[in-house]
Amino acid sequence: MSTKILYNLESLYEEIDIFEHKNISFHHHLRNGDFVLNMVLKKYLEMDVKELNLFPSSIFPTYTTILDLIKNDQINNITTNYLNGPVAEYISKNGLIGKLKMQTHGGRARSIIEGNNNIDIAYIAAPYVDKLGNAVGYKGKNACGSLGYAIADSKYAKIKILITDTLVEEVDNPEIDGANIDYIIVVDSIGDSNGIVSGTTQVTKNPVGVKIARYTSELINELGYIKNGFSFQSGAGGVSLKATEYIGEIMRKNNVIASFFSGGITKYHVDMLEEGLVEKLYDVQCFDLDAVRSISKNKNHIPISASIYANPNDEKMVIKDLDCVILGAAEIDYDFNVNVTSSSHQMLMGGSGGHSDTATEAKLTIIVSPLIKARIPVIKDRVMTITTLGKNVDCLVTERGIAINENRKDLIEKLKNSKLKIYTIKELANIAHNYTGIPKQLKKESKIIGMVEDRTYDIIDYIYKA
Amino acid sequence: MKSAGSLESSDCLITVSYNKDKNNTVNIESIVFDQFGEQIFEVINKSLQELNIKNVNVLCQDKGALDYTIKARLATALKRLEGENNE
Amino acid sequence: MSRSYLFIPGNNPNMLQNLDVFNADAVIIDFEDSVISYDKDCARDLVENFLKKYNFENLEIYIRINDFESNDFLKDVQSTLDLNINGYVLPKAMPESIDDLNKLIGTKGKTIIPIIESPLALLFVREIASKDNLHGILLGAEDFTKELNVPRTLEASEIFYARSIISIACNAFNIDSIDTPFTNTDDISNLRVDSLKAKQLGFTSKSSIHPNHVETINQVFAPSKSEIENALRIVTKAKTELKGAFSLDGKMVDLPIIKKAEKTIETAKKYNLL
Repeated sequence: MSTKILYNLESLYEEIDIFEHKNISFHHHLRNGDFVLNMVLKKYLEMDVKELNLFPSSIFPTYTTILDLIKNDQINNITTNYLNGPVAEYISKNGLIGKLKMQTHGGRARSIIEGNNNIDIAYIAAPYVDKLGNAVGYKGKNACGSLGYAIADSKYAKIKILITDTLVEEVDNPEIDGANIDYIIVVDSIGDSNGIVSGTTQVTKNPVGVKIARYTSELINELGYIKNGFSFQSGAGGVSLKATEYIGEIMRKNNVIASFFSGGITKYHVDMLEEGLVEKLYDVQCFDLDAVRSISKNKNHIPISASIYANPNDEKMVIKDLDCVILGAAEIDYDFNVNVTSSSHQMLMGGSGGHSDTATEAKLTIIVSPLIKARIPVIKDRVMTITTLGKNVDCLVTERGIAINENRKDLIEKLKNSKLKIYTIKELANIAHNYTGIPKQLKKESKIIGMVEDRTYDIIDYIYKA
Repeated sequence: MKSAGSLESSDCLITVSYNKDKNNTVNIESIVFDQFGEQIFEVINKSLQELNIKNVNVLCQDKGALDYTIKARLATALKRLEGENNE
Repeated sequence: MSRSYLFIPGNNPNMLQNLDVFNADAVIIDFEDSVISYDKDCARDLVENFLKKYNFENLEIYIRINDFESNDFLKDVQSTLDLNINGYVLPKAMPESIDDLNKLIGTKGKTIIPIIESPLALLFVREIASKDNLHGILLGAEDFTKELNVPRTLEASEIFYARSIISIACNAFNIDSIDTPFTNTDDISNLRVDSLKAKQLGFTSKSSIHPNHVETINQVFAPSKSEIENALRIVTKAKTELKGAFSLDGKMVDLPIIKKAEKTIETAKKYNLL
């Protein structure tokens, strides 16, 4: 079928019945600068479409129309990988008519491809589109870089719609294949480029963070991972990026070249690619403008879909070859279960993204966190919400020392004579309690408002009303 | 009325004033109240007891201060209050 | 001997309770410039409560008190005399103020690190270095160059003489010579250059006002790999030689060189470099 070009949402709803297709999806590549999600959902609000099921890949603080729809009882279920801001807060306190399902980036792609997430309409903000519906994310006035999280939607939704502000004659090497696209809607603006680039992609200067980063790089080095051909993922946290910088120093000193970095890509990864320290970047999400610029011109900086990134049933899955990943934690417990989904006050404030995916696949999974954050020790008896299972987590690095998962006897053996400060996780918790005292456990297991679904489709934890 | 401390992270601002009813009152506003509220009460009450003080209102606005900080801020605020009285 | 002396603001709980995580050999808890005048009492109470609660092994702790002329000098010393600290860093030091501080310390077993931060004090460096109870001397280049009315430069020629004479005086009296902090917190590569300059003039240590500087300072002021290897060879050979002096790689090795090698090995052991 050929792609039809429209110039507003009204004409779209003359073509398709908005009341017929209740499962709708969005991607979050435009982050806090996204205009598309609110623009589309305002129509659903105006037309009072009820019993919606939303499948946004993430929910950012500016996605406030979701809140209006929830308050108006128009949404049944939400399935997403990450949520933050007023929507997260409201759902924590009130729940939904149905349930909130938290997936992973790989799990979402898998669910869409395998039909577990049945999407009727995919609304895809697309920065640079040709008349056939071919699209890339890294060009146009609201370029966002890779469109990795939207690819499965663009293939498997019943109706696939691109929304763009830049329609051109031809797009080379498209990330989204026009053959799959049903409609293109041309609007004035799909976003505000100021909000697209996330503000967190700076190396930390905080001395505690710097200390954690230093320990992390030393740990990875002592375990022998920094050698030719190794692969690595750091995400965009300030401590992880500082650790990446230190790993770069070790690579330069020892003439090591890495094979690839994967996941969310920042200026720091781009600099290392351009310096020749790493051969390829597999980019599912660009975190800053340097990454966007690089992906548009460097053939070794490769946009990948969420499925190729982390779907366990995708034979091309990049992270199955991942040696080492550095991840953050809001909380971690004695079994090394990690929570990045809810705060210590049981409020939703994040989600897995690729946390559980990469932890599962990487040969070495390191969690970095300050031992104490404003009197709250990061180590708990039991985390508020399990985002990533402890069996997939190997090390915790804090400013006061390192804990190794007891299941990893091989790592413990290798570090037997290390000068690094290695403790059991309980010893490390005791060090924290020496300063803070023992915090009262707060978890309320009253009303279940949602669940955490791992990429295996296993429900690994429930989310309770705050 | 006198204060000591700050509202920076890991600190607390403690404000004290004389209580005309000749007893102590303690009010706490803390970002970690759910986890540590009782412990903060205990630190303040114990300090007042040790100093044999029986007629102050204490307001502790806490940003995750550890016990030693709460004790120190309370001590400074009380000394300042006493100083004001002597002036 | 300590390689790094890290200043920690005395009225900042967040920094105070982390003072032992930055790998500094010594920390200087500051009551002076980093504490605003109306909060000096706050800092004293905070540090007292902190040090009564926590103990630190393998970490030297000093307190920079306010200078002798200030109203806080006496209170700073009296409120800290019974705390578990190594001693005091004394700003705007002159021979007389060191004597006065020593009288206050009495038999409490605390040492003194005077800061030389004026041209006049520099003229007294020899007398200062000879005082009792000194752990080292710290160069305060910011105030020193302000009085000289010259700008601070990366090249640091304006403090070349001051550095040289302080390092020589300290060496003569066998106390630590502690270089002035490098003030640009983000410029780690020039921190290294600046530290190497001080080391080349004989400084044993450098102070810092930012925790992120400690690691570089520790590296620069630790014995280098080749220094340690060389020292090991000298000590090993000395054990097998019957004569007091012998030749190694065509160079004469005598008792002072052997003693120096032993000291290098001791330092290397202390800092986990062996």
